Amino acid sequence: MNTVLIKNGRVVDPKNKVDGICDIYVVEGKVAKVGIGLIVTADTVIDATGLVVTPGLIDLQVHFREPGREDRETILTGSRAALKGGVTSVVTMPNSTPAADNQSVIEFVIKRAREVGLINIYPTGTITKGQAGGTLSEMRELKTSGAVAVTDDGSDVQDPNLLRRAMEYAKTHDVLIMSHCETNTLTDHGVMHEGFVSTQLGLPGTPEVSEDLAVEKNIILAQKTGARLHLLHNSTKGAMSAIARAKASGAQNITAEVSVQHFALTDTECHGYNTQAKMYPPLRSQDHVDAIIEAIKAGTIDALTTDHAPHIEPDKLLPFVDAAFGSVGLETSFAVMNTYLVEAGHIDLATGIALMTHKPAAIIEIEKGSLEVGADADISIFDVDKEWVVDPKEFESKGKNCVFTDKTLIGKTKHVIIGGVVKMIDEVIIGS
Amino acid sequence: MSTEITDSLTIIRAGRDVSFFDLYSIDQVSLTDFGLIFALARGFREAKTAKLTLCKGHTQVNCFFEPSTRTQASFDLSAKHLGMDTTSVSGSSSSAKKGESYIDTVETLDSYNTRILIVRSSEAGVPEVASRYVNASIINAGDGWHEHPTQALLDALTMLDHFGTTDLNGRVVVIVGDIMHSRVFGSLVRILKKLGATIKVAAPATFLSAGVEQFGLTAFYNIEEALIGADVVYALRVQEERGASGFIPTLREYSKTFGISEARLNLAKFDAILMHPGPVIRDIDVHSALVSRHPQSRILAQVENGMAVRKALLWLLADRIDGKVKTCKRM
Repeated sequence: MNTVLIKNGRVVDPKNKVDGICDIYVVEGKVAKVGIGLIVTADTVIDATGLVVTPGLIDLQVHFREPGREDRETILTGSRAALKGGVTSVVTMPNSTPAADNQSVIEFVIKRAREVGLINIYPTGTITKGQAGGTLSEMRELKTSGAVAVTDDGSDVQDPNLLRRAMEYAKTHDVLIMSHCETNTLTDHGVMHEGFVSTQLGLPGTPEVSEDLAVEKNIILAQKTGARLHLLHNSTKGAMSAIARAKASGAQNITAEVSVQHFALTDTECHGYNTQAKMYPPLRSQDHVDAIIEAIKAGTIDALTTDHAPHIEPDKLLPFVDAAFGSVGLETSFAVMNTYLVEAGHIDLATGIALMTHKPAAIIEIEKGSLEVGADADISIFDVDKEWVVDPKEFESKGKNCVFTDKTLIGKTKHVIIGGVVKMIDEVIIGS
Repeated sequence: MSTEITDSLTIIRAGRDVSFFDLYSIDQVSLTDFGLIFALARGFREAKTAKLTLCKGHTQVNCFFEPSTRTQASFDLSAKHLGMDTTSVSGSSSSAKKGESYIDTVETLDSYNTRILIVRSSEAGVPEVASRYVNASIINAGDGWHEHPTQALLDALTMLDHFGTTDLNGRVVVIVGDIMHSRVFGSLVRILKKLGATIKVAAPATFLSAGVEQFGLTAFYNIEEALIGADVVYALRVQEERGASGFIPTLREYSKTFGISEARLNLAKFDAILMHPGPVIRDIDVHSALVSRHPQSRILAQVENGMAVRKALLWLLADRIDGKVKTCKRM
């Protein structure tokens, strides 16, 4: 019988409204006891004095690039990066090569995840064949193969009629749609947020209305069709107000996330033609950042994600207009949340943890993200006071492209337990 | 003869250096730098095509990732007049074309012990980023929609010479045309601000880039209103090749609403000057009769000043008196 005892940590389990010093006893992969001063014997004892113990983090949006671009990331390296960040479950985007528009790719990802055996990986399928926006994918089969949602992330379904059919069809089989909201004709050749900084740099800007219009389109169609819709990486004032309006009108079928870089940084990161700051949605101006933080405080946002997007160095060494979009984030997401939301005084730690645990779990309908007796023992343990400087050379991810490079963050993952098995101890990954 | 010129330039220089090693943005240039550059440029203008040896033994490579005729010729002749050996390479800064990063290209050119690298690219930021990887001094000869700093230097020299002043305080400069896609505007607005001018722009809203007022200027949709009281009328070319197409219905309608005609020029002050970075699209940007021979036109003076300013800059960057050397990331 495999047993683990986590002693004397500050347990933050928002779903069960727990926030206090106690012990957790894990038996055979499940939480067996939670209490103060547990007297039990265990195979492994972790002293969590001075540390914060939370349910393992859940990230709804990562790119692991396998199959197809294993030079950028693999399921193994992506899993190791997740462990470093205290992320125990991820949802992988389907824009691999080939795209996950058929059951073979979904089954391959699940098989590789099982072989690697480090974290829980939940694949998604595509909305349209090849993400080409032409014909619908076989969503029912994708779902029965193990996809937790369908998405054309990386692009948006441009044709409103096709998106409507996709939502109606997804509703038929109770499939969750995840939308990357962008209006291609408005983005045009835009490579960063359109504003004074893009004007100073002489770079083509992506107007906020490109996102606003697409968010409105997705929300209206979801309200008409009743499909379950999750809005990926929202970044504008307009998106925040559209989501708030939808929720105020009682829409139960719509959820929304923010990627952590979008409340932490602004478009000024692009100065000096810093291609690490190039991503979609773009880092926006301070007024958008303020609106996002207000929306998080108001409870409008359901999840915080990374949009972890690894690239090889040559793809970022290009002129800014030609460089690849995206930044890695799995090894920094908890620290970014802690630094820019909790330490900055906007929300308390439990609120931030909720947005990275049981709330995203509810969106993809998995029984994870909490630590009550009987729950899966996916547990992350953080030193929330530790300051560190981000150096991508130390990353487990193959992607060294990180917008937080050289920034000082507060909070670091110490230990990670998944399914009752210790996977990382004192920042060292074990068993793989 | 050339010894006398060298002596007089050396006296003007008076042992001074500029505060930068590369020039990719007017943001880098201080007011003191302007004074030094303009004083030397006037000296070089006097010297016309005299063959000098101020930069003898140094090499300049004109690295044009985007084709150019005028600017490349101006930089090349300037270097040759100073005694430098020059060569030119062309190509693309987008590695998609041949698999090599533009950074590899400039590092290779730098390894010829090149002293000056003139870089032009159709993508913004290429000269600035490249400057971090080379020992040579990089001069931006135009990058995308961003900047064209030597154009702004020659424009400012042209204005200051006309007014006979050392700054532009109290002068009203009206810039007309395709603001959004203009690297000339990018540098001009920065230098005008530094020299204290009052800046107005006149263009259809489709040609105004986001937040452009934050440079510290006033935007007008009505050109007549903008031109009243102007000291300088600066017309930009409608750059169809940089995406202007689709931003206005036709060149015909643009010419009617924003083209500089004699009647419009008369709305400016009686001694106002007309400027244009070239090449002029006659009868679209500027009425043909105003282009070169009109008494208020400074368009050819601008070109002459271009050579003079570039020589001043090349000498200052290639031959530092303080002996300071640039340190680059690669070292």
